[in-house]
Amino acid sequence: MVLGNLLQRLAASQGYFGQMPRFYGPQIRGGASGVKLSLDTTRASVPDDAADIMLCFNWEKYDELKQELPLVGTSVVFYDNAPPEGCLNLPAKSFQVGFSEISKEVMGTAASKNIVALGLVERILALPEDLVKSATPHDQTSALLERNRPAYDAGRRVLPEIRFGELRLSPPRDSSPKTVLHGNAAAAQGAMRAGCRTFFGYPITPASEIMEEMQESLNHGKGVFVQAEDEIAAIGMAVGASLTGAKSMTATTGPGLDLMTEMIGLASGAEIPVVIVDVARCGPATGIPSKSEQSDINQAIYGGHGDAPRVVLAAYNVEGCYRLSIESFNISEYYQTPVILLSDQLLGQTTVATDSGFLKRDYAIAERKRPGGERHEQYQRYEVTQDYVSPMALAGDEGLMYQTTGLVHDEKGRPAFDFATHQRMEDKRWQKLAPLRDKDELVKVFGNQRSDRGIVTFGSSAEFILGTVEDLGLQDEVKVCIPELIYPLSGRVTAFVNSLRRLLVVEMNYSGQFYHYLRSQIDLPSDTRSYARAGALPFARKELSGPIADLAG
Amino acid sequence: MNKERDYRTDVKPVWCPGCGGFALLNALTARALPNLGIPRHQTLIVSGIGCSSRIPGYIDTYGFNSLHGRAVVIAQGAKLANPELTVIAIGGDGDFFSIGAGHLPHAVRRNVNVTCIMLNNFVYALTKGQTSPTTPYLQRGEGPFLSMQFYPPVDPILDMVSYSVSTRASFIAQGIATDVPHLASLIEEAIKHKGFSFISVLTPCVTFEPPEFFKTIKERASYLKEGEPVGLPDSFAEKPWVHDSSNITLALKLAQTPVLEKPHIGVIFRGKGR
Repeated sequence: MVLGNLLQRLAASQGYFGQMPRFYGPQIRGGASGVKLSLDTTRASVPDDAADIMLCFNWEKYDELKQELPLVGTSVVFYDNAPPEGCLNLPAKSFQVGFSEISKEVMGTAASKNIVALGLVERILALPEDLVKSATPHDQTSALLERNRPAYDAGRRVLPEIRFGELRLSPPRDSSPKTVLHGNAAAAQGAMRAGCRTFFGYPITPASEIMEEMQESLNHGKGVFVQAEDEIAAIGMAVGASLTGAKSMTATTGPGLDLMTEMIGLASGAEIPVVIVDVARCGPATGIPSKSEQSDINQAIYGGHGDAPRVVLAAYNVEGCYRLSIESFNISEYYQTPVILLSDQLLGQTTVATDSGFLKRDYAIAERKRPGGERHEQYQRYEVTQDYVSPMALAGDEGLMYQTTGLVHDEKGRPAFDFATHQRMEDKRWQKLAPLRDKDELVKVFGNQRSDRGIVTFGSSAEFILGTVEDLGLQDEVKVCIPELIYPLSGRVTAFVNSLRRLLVVEMNYSGQFYHYLRSQIDLPSDTRSYARAGALPFARKELSGPIADLAG
Repeated sequence: MNKERDYRTDVKPVWCPGCGGFALLNALTARALPNLGIPRHQTLIVSGIGCSSRIPGYIDTYGFNSLHGRAVVIAQGAKLANPELTVIAIGGDGDFFSIGAGHLPHAVRRNVNVTCIMLNNFVYALTKGQTSPTTPYLQRGEGPFLSMQFYPPVDPILDMVSYSVSTRASFIAQGIATDVPHLASLIEEAIKHKGFSFISVLTPCVTFEPPEFFKTIKERASYLKEGEPVGLPDSFAEKPWVHDSSNITLALKLAQTPVLEKPHIGVIFRGKGR
């Protein structure tokens, strides 16, 4: 992971794009871990199925990750120690390079073996020699490299000793340095950009980075950060903070989302804005905490008792994690509703080297509708207005006191026990979200609009779909729809589906939650196929080629 | 200055006649809040679910009748986000000491300036009389048999005052619903205390308890006065325990006195605020 991080950062400083998903197991430390890094000249594409170059420090641990890091005949492999006899057929171009030995020789310890490997890879890729110097001063990367300079130089000297030439990367489209961040960091930065200054969290893999990033941002009196005693407290505090007008957030994954469910119902019923990021992982129960799955759709849309409308968004790339984090606050604040932003382990923890334009763009920032000054005496917290959004007084506002409750309540927030009030307030809470169905910009459509074959997918699966369609050269035959607004479903998704003769729905969960959800909302074509399978392994392009080719055929 | 009527909404309480909820409502709206002169809009009352948790609807400040067990977390979030507010969390014994018990030690250690008032009626009354964690554990036929339930409690009680002392809450007091002026004075002190404060209010449940139960508590109530001897079994005339609310050892002894033997009423402990 250290090697991958360094290489990605250094390449990014030269202008290379790329993505680097992380793979790791259950060990607390010292377990198997690996990364797959793509370097790209024009955009941050997801890595290919198999590696062109593979560096292996430990074959026993490789064994645990071989499903994520398959070798093919054309892979070039550099490894530290020889694999155990007969356990693996190495490709033709495999070279034993004693990374540990070299590190011991020049540094007195094997700990710098990854820096030796970095020197070698940079030489192979013919990255500029002054790369280390070009890293910005004060950067941790450059400090780390400076300390390990002898290991780095030794790595660069290895190449002539093995019978392998340079591969020479194509130059990047432009040499402007690329920003490196993962979806979790992007979501946290988006929240800051939206004006969130109160964050309440509880550690959980793979969402913890959001909490850590928010802690960093809100420290030193810049806001309120609390690591709560559990997820119930985390979202409870966020709801409490929101009553005073603070844009509040929490972040978690499946088990935490389960615990937050009752409070999400309260926030829905009492119309209190709050943003919840769910970085999904394999479930149910503890599942596989470190691996990705898209199986929280049902919980996000329907979780909880009673009729509790909320809004569900899903990012499909790192830019989306940032932009939709802002959008989540905008929707939550404007519509006074809980918003669940779905991400997943792949999106959340894959570091992406990309243009930083999206971090600098202007974004509209929505604010809560507040009561005007003139009608204090008649203030009704849940006044049924034309758009069903009631101006919300903040605890602390003079002359606007109201009492609210999770009980069915009337316009003033007072407990009610009759059908008519219950029906009226349900109507208000559901109706107020109706305009979201017109948010066309939260649905991305790619490919030939005239085609009658299409794919609907969401979240981290989307980029694998787009990449595979492109690899297969089927952009003319197959169009792709990626809803970022999952609930309520935008009319643009319905229009997309209605234009099809044949539909494929792709998602990473066993039961086809997304497919069933779409089926509940839209009259799907009779020729509709669902490609859904359990998580714990990113989609491979080879795997998706079949269903996509079938769709086009 | 706000008057009592300013602090009351026109919503009629759902409580049974004689319920301790009225005492707390009175203590807050007729005394503590007006006495402190806290503007109504600067006050937020958060409750959980239970009989006592209906109270925010009756007080014309900002109010939130939230979820069972969660009042104290919502209260902390609000206080942290707007430190100008006076935030009071109100709930019952089931609320704070059963479903929400896990939140209390953390509220204590964070010491956020929130006042937590627990109306302890020793029973789940809203759900019609089931045992709560504070329902006294008595053999059938022994002492005042509590609860109209056919089955008596099988587990010992969780004593909330000892619990608060052992987790070192920075302000701990016990009041009694039959003495509103005293209860109000405790609430005023708790609100003025800069840190997390916890008040247990001994309260009758007129519907699900035999009258002898609270009668016993009321008769045996022993008021704590700073510098005066306290009623403890090992407090003798020649060497008495004298009340000192800064003494945590004494606080623990007071808290551990079974409530049916001698309920100590007053400020039990006052530690460091924030």
